[in-house]
Amino acid sequence: MSDTVPALSIEHVSKSYGSSTALDDINMTVEQGAFFGFLGPNGAGKSTTIHLITGIARLTKGRIRVFGTDVNTSYREARTKVGLSPQEFNVDIFEKVDNILDFVAGYYGLHKALRKERVDELLERFNLEKHRRKEFRMLSGGLKRRVLLARAMVHKPKLLILDEPTAGVDVELRRELWKYLRELNEDGTTILLTSHYLEEVELLCDRIAMINQGKIVVVDDKEAFTQNGGKLEDKYLELTAQNTSTS
Amino acid sequence: MIQNWIGLYTFVRREVIRFLRVSVQTLVSPWISAVLFIFIFGKIVGSRIDTIAGIQYIEFVLPGILMMNVLTSAFSHSSSSLYFQRFARHIEEVLVAPLSHAEMIFGYIIGALIRGMLIGAGILVIGVLFGAASMHNIGLFLVYILAVSTVFALLGMLVGLWAEGFEQLAVLTTFVITPLSFLGGMFNSLDMLPPILQKITLWNPFFYFNDGLRYSMTGFHEASLVTGISIIAGLVIVLFAVVVTLFSRGWRLRV
Repeated sequence: MSDTVPALSIEHVSKSYGSSTALDDINMTVEQGAFFGFLGPNGAGKSTTIHLITGIARLTKGRIRVFGTDVNTSYREARTKVGLSPQEFNVDIFEKVDNILDFVAGYYGLHKALRKERVDELLERFNLEKHRRKEFRMLSGGLKRRVLLARAMVHKPKLLILDEPTAGVDVELRRELWKYLRELNEDGTTILLTSHYLEEVELLCDRIAMINQGKIVVVDDKEAFTQNGGKLEDKYLELTAQNTSTS
Repeated sequence: MIQNWIGLYTFVRREVIRFLRVSVQTLVSPWISAVLFIFIFGKIVGSRIDTIAGIQYIEFVLPGILMMNVLTSAFSHSSSSLYFQRFARHIEEVLVAPLSHAEMIFGYIIGALIRGMLIGAGILVIGVLFGAASMHNIGLFLVYILAVSTVFALLGMLVGLWAEGFEQLAVLTTFVITPLSFLGGMFNSLDMLPPILQKITLWNPFFYFNDGLRYSMTGFHEASLVTGISIIAGLVIVLFAVVVTLFSRGWRLRV
């Protein structure tokens, strides 16, 4: 595969729920190695887009490819390339932390020895070793968030999708996560990040897309949003408000 | 169809760990219920009932009790597992993984079969302790247990997909499985019933499940075994096709 193949390519994608349109003919490309911010108000279509990439939702129209692999026709191959840390705690709350990671590693086809190695590595990486035999429901919000991140990375995905990864996380962990995400990105993992903390996006991302009412409003380099001393937040409010008022 | 064998194995392992986590509810409870049924109906009431076709009453009722518990367990397993995963949304863990629909479906079925087999083995041991268990044809015994468990695992998956609340999970058990099990020759032979009920019973598929298992254990049967096996095979094929279709469409699985 050529290096020019994008990590994520979304072409003319639409998604409807009955008569309501959640996504309306969106197009977006995320280049390999990018740290890509995906912003928009609640209900704009961010989670729907993520659900379509990962297979949680079904496409109404269009095509999505991950590193050149179609997520529908070659779903097995595409899914091994993607890791998802969702906004909500979609976990069996009665299951123990190490089992959660081990099961997901198994779904991705990792052999027992490799699973153990990978689970131990991630538990150490996220300071979860002493919580490994605890049930998920017994963990604090920050620890739960760490488990979701570890779970998303258990199969070493080339594209990591983080949907509000630092929601409800304290400042220390947030900074720790930023550091880890930067390292991951530097090691070649492409990251798609959604967050309501715009300073987080500004700090981490090199390219940003904004979505509003199911349409991509803008896609540009971070510098384009912050040139002349401007702030991402101002541009975000301007673009999302503009779109709302003209619709 | 099945390519990700480690994924399927992991799926089944997770299902087994899940039901073992609540083993009092999933295993001990049906075993205790079976002990009570065998003791009251088999031992106490049965001692005052004549043999049926030369078989002690306790031996006659044991297959019915065993079958009811096995099929109820298989149904409960897949319905509650699938429904709870949808309810708590951790079905998404599986939906984003490189697992095919067939691998998911077989994962639920095998999990339900293992639970059904454990329940069946336990009740068989209880039967031996009560001196009530005999075995006429172990191969046929296993075929009936596995095939009927598959039917109810598939039915459970349909209910697990359909249910929008915990109450709906209990609907089929309350209104279909329990009544039809009791009316399907669990405690009585066909000729104990009035003629009209005998005719109605022949339309009750549960009668064939009980009758077939009873034959495999005691050598006694009242209906055509070919008819019974055909009904079970037909149900497996039809239910499997329905479940595969619904999974392929993502009905209540993928938004």
